[in-house]
Amino acid sequence: MMFEHLRSRRRLPLLAAGVLDGPARGATLAHVASCSSCGKELDELKAVLRLVASDPRPAEPPIPLSQLVTRVGARLDELDRGPVTVRPRPWVVASWAGAAAVVAAVVFLLLPGRPQGGNERPLVSEDTLQRLERNVAREQAARYLGEAQDVLVSVAAAPPPCDREKVDLGEASERSRKLLTRGALLVDPEGPAVASARPLLNDVEQALREVAALESCVRARDVQRVREDLARRQLLMKIRLMKRELEG
Amino acid sequence: MERTAGDDRPPSDRDLMVRLAAGDREALPPLMERHYRRLYRIALAYLRNPDDALDAVQETFVKAFQNAVRWDGASEVGPWLSRIAVNHAIDRYRREKRRRRTLTPFDDEARELPATDQPSPERTALGREVGVKIAAALRALPEKQRAVFVLRHYEEHTLEEIAGVLGLSLGTVKSSLHRAIRRLRERLAGLSA
Repeated sequence: MMFEHLRSRRRLPLLAAGVLDGPARGATLAHVASCSSCGKELDELKAVLRLVASDPRPAEPPIPLSQLVTRVGARLDELDRGPVTVRPRPWVVASWAGAAAVVAAVVFLLLPGRPQGGNERPLVSEDTLQRLERNVAREQAARYLGEAQDVLVSVAAAPPPCDREKVDLGEASERSRKLLTRGALLVDPEGPAVASARPLLNDVEQALREVAALESCVRARDVQRVREDLARRQLLMKIRLMKRELEG
Repeated sequence: MERTAGDDRPPSDRDLMVRLAAGDREALPPLMERHYRRLYRIALAYLRNPDDALDAVQETFVKAFQNAVRWDGASEVGPWLSRIAVNHAIDRYRREKRRRRTLTPFDDEARELPATDQPSPERTALGREVGVKIAAALRALPEKQRAVFVLRHYEEHTLEEIAGVLGLSLGTVKSSLHRAIRRLRERLAGLSA
């Protein structure tokens, strides 16, 4: 009896949407007729679908077909003229260029065939190497902060509900865990290149740990606490500012 | 030379796709005429913004032309186009979501709505608050659930058709629709009484 009740209850959304058919439909309808709570839930589900249906149906496209044809033709012409050059973000370019330069410099310095004459000046000076390393470290820190910002913003925005008085934070907590792991590999908060970002990096790590510790379906008030903490510490604003500083 | 009755028949979708695959752009307008309204409805239901929806339809036909040679010939053209439109709408929505989050991290849901959710005559009649909450509830659905719900609710596709359009199993379509309706109920329960 209880099994039949649970099975029918699970089918109610599909019944309300009119996509349940065959024996399942008959069995569910029979159960609903004898179960007041299922009947009530079915009515509520249908009412919600009616409400969504009352939302104005998408109208005609705002331009006539002839204009759309012209637009598609123009777009194809544009593509025919040559591939669209996708410009990578400056920090990505700088990051890769910096990393490539460091690798090239290290390979050059360690090359066995390199002349060992004492008076020869190295092609890449120590200062240049340090500057490149510093740039790479700062780019990586900025990237880490950018990803942390995405995660924390998804917590600060309204996560969708997953249960009564609970919200779905599964993606954010999973991303936090991954980011913490990657962050430990990518960013050295003790390094001199990111000294100015050290307090913020520590705060961000703490915030990510709080999010990572939350369950995927968590009480809304727990998320509210994290949200208030983010607001109180103005963490998102600080991240934005620090990212800009690190990216130069 | 006498024309046969068959000559007067408009070319089928398949004929037009074959011509597109051969690089014949003239085959695009008749194909667009048959499908652009439906694709617009799908994109608008997903994106909730007429300009974005129009862009999605435009890009759908651009991609259809570019990828016509990859169309396998066995599948129906309509669902194939729907799939391109839905995928494009999902991509666009993701980009927009990232952009909005970056710019307005603490904004509430109502303020996150695009300008086009301002009251239209129909929306005014419905009641702006209700319309805004429906839009927010739809927007809060995970991508897959939202796509399944839009295709079922706004386009009245069968579950099998939705599975074909989205490249999902029938079981996944059922569970996604089930979850979408439950989530909408949680969000909209107070309004539907």
